[in-house]
Amino acid sequence: MSLVTRNALIALAITVALAGTVAYAVSYLNRARVVELSAIEDQISIDTLSLDTQFSLLEAAPCDSAASSTTLTNELTDLGTRLSYAENQLGSDDSRVVRLKEQYSLLEIRDYLITKRLAAACGTKPVTVLYFYSNAGDCGDCDKAGYALSYLRNTYPALRVYSFDYNLDLGALKTLVAVEKVKDSLPAFVINGKHSYGFTSLADLEKQFPKGALATTSASHTGS
Amino acid sequence: MNPEFLTYPFLFIAIFFESFVLVTLLSEPARAARGRMRGSATPSVAIIVPCYNEEETVAATCDSLLALDYPKDKLEIILVDDGSTDATPSAMARYAHHPHVRVIRKENGGKHTALNAGIAATDAEFVGCLDADSFVESDALREIIPCFANERVAAATAAMSVHRPKNVVEHMQNAEYIFGITFRHAIASINGIYVTPGPFSFYRSSVIEELGGFRHGHQTEDMEMALRIQQAGYEIENAPHARVYTKAPRTIPKLIKQRTRWTSGFIRNVLGEYRSLILNRRQGALGMLVLPVALTAIVSGLLLFSLTLFEGVQSAVTAIEIRSGIPLSYAYALWPHGPFDWLYVPASFYLILGVVTVITSLFLIVIGKRLSKTPGSLALGLASYTLLYGFVAPLWLLRAAADVTLGKHRGWR
Repeated sequence: MSLVTRNALIALAITVALAGTVAYAVSYLNRARVVELSAIEDQISIDTLSLDTQFSLLEAAPCDSAASSTTLTNELTDLGTRLSYAENQLGSDDSRVVRLKEQYSLLEIRDYLITKRLAAACGTKPVTVLYFYSNAGDCGDCDKAGYALSYLRNTYPALRVYSFDYNLDLGALKTLVAVEKVKDSLPAFVINGKHSYGFTSLADLEKQFPKGALATTSASHTGS
Repeated sequence: MNPEFLTYPFLFIAIFFESFVLVTLLSEPARAARGRMRGSATPSVAIIVPCYNEEETVAATCDSLLALDYPKDKLEIILVDDGSTDATPSAMARYAHHPHVRVIRKENGGKHTALNAGIAATDAEFVGCLDADSFVESDALREIIPCFANERVAAATAAMSVHRPKNVVEHMQNAEYIFGITFRHAIASINGIYVTPGPFSFYRSSVIEELGGFRHGHQTEDMEMALRIQQAGYEIENAPHARVYTKAPRTIPKLIKQRTRWTSGFIRNVLGEYRSLILNRRQGALGMLVLPVALTAIVSGLLLFSLTLFEGVQSAVTAIEIRSGIPLSYAYALWPHGPFDWLYVPASFYLILGVVTVITSLFLIVIGKRLSKTPGSLALGLASYTLLYGFVAPLWLLRAAADVTLGKHRGWR
């Protein structure tokens, strides 16, 4: 065997080994990400139970100053980010992603309900945004709207933004859509009960908020 | 299909070839070449300096040749003025009084004609070429001569780097040239060299005479000559310790112009007169590996660049569209959110293999500097090579490919 052939074979073996190692590492990372989905699932289950328990406890003392808010806002945001990443990586059709989104939507609906209930009982005025989007390619402005809402949520930490995939096949979500009378014109926003559709600019979106609400929410830290 | 899949074969070939270079470096012939001692033989040598409008650098080039550690009675320096229109003739005239310097003036006819005029004027056993913008270390010739110990060796190349790089473009080229030192040293050990560069390449005069002197060679007479030598069944050696420094283009447009000439010359020579060398078993490593990989590198450079550009522009447009009108959103997007999590690093097969390819290139550059003992710091060179080269090189590849396709021929400068 000539030197060139021998060296070429050694180089080929190194390349195959290297590419194989990289392929294994990427696949390992992907598997770890799927395992991470289970962790998200567990977290959502615990949070859901926690909210249920909080609901029951607040029956007795609805306006206790320390308990008069849920502490899930930050966690919801974090779970939302992870879920969105998982959706990007695995695709929105992935069955695990769909199930997680359903569980996450349920958790959001529960948090929304408890926030509303506390507000009614205790006279607080949280600013809540129900945001309905679609990933089915039929909502050109949803990415922009989502980014603008992320910006608002980061700028005004007390703002409670609940994002829902309008097309998700989930009974509770369909009921929420029906109860809140949200039309299928996306992106759709329900800001403290007031409906608006479509997204043009951040300034226009801000106009949909109750007067002074953004300033107030930044000053009074209600839930995070 | 994900467009990234298209790049996998090219990344695989790039890593394969880098591994091949590393393995060949460790093989016996390359080790023997590195350990080659300077011999006591001092055959007659003529060094031809072809000049066209080189008034600024020709004096320094001559000075470095006069300082060569070689018996003066065996060394001839032939300055050939190829019809310069500036003060090159008077700069040359200042050296005419040296007993072993000869000055030739001729009408402008191109570099290959200047070299042939120099060859015709000497009976030396070996002829060398030194571009008038290059400078040699005093021991460079003594490093080169032992390469010709084997009678089948028709040419030998030196270890080139950039002369006193100052700006980022020069530093980037310096790193690239030093990569070339490693590359040439490795493939010379398996007779795979396909270019004998203008700065300080030497030829056995009898072979040049047999093959018929330099040709235009699509403005790459050094490449054409090397391919002709290989086709004739001779060998081309490399002297990794023979250091030569050359001036490199200082700006991107000048660099692109120079490299377009080199690349289009390569494509025209290899796919033209020397097509028969490709995948020719008789040509050994050159035909079966080096030339096919060099051609593939042009295609992969264009493809990887197009893909990166396409994906980059696409995501930039989307990002701008989504973020427009949102204050500080760019800074917000750049700022890390939450604790760092390895799970969310966008590690794809394409990205990791790309990183492996770049790191191996940098490693080969460092090896080149060490084995040639090239002076100076490489830090800026490595940084600019990593960050800039991948974006600039495709521009000349694109231009050269377009020139060859459209049959366009550009001027030398």
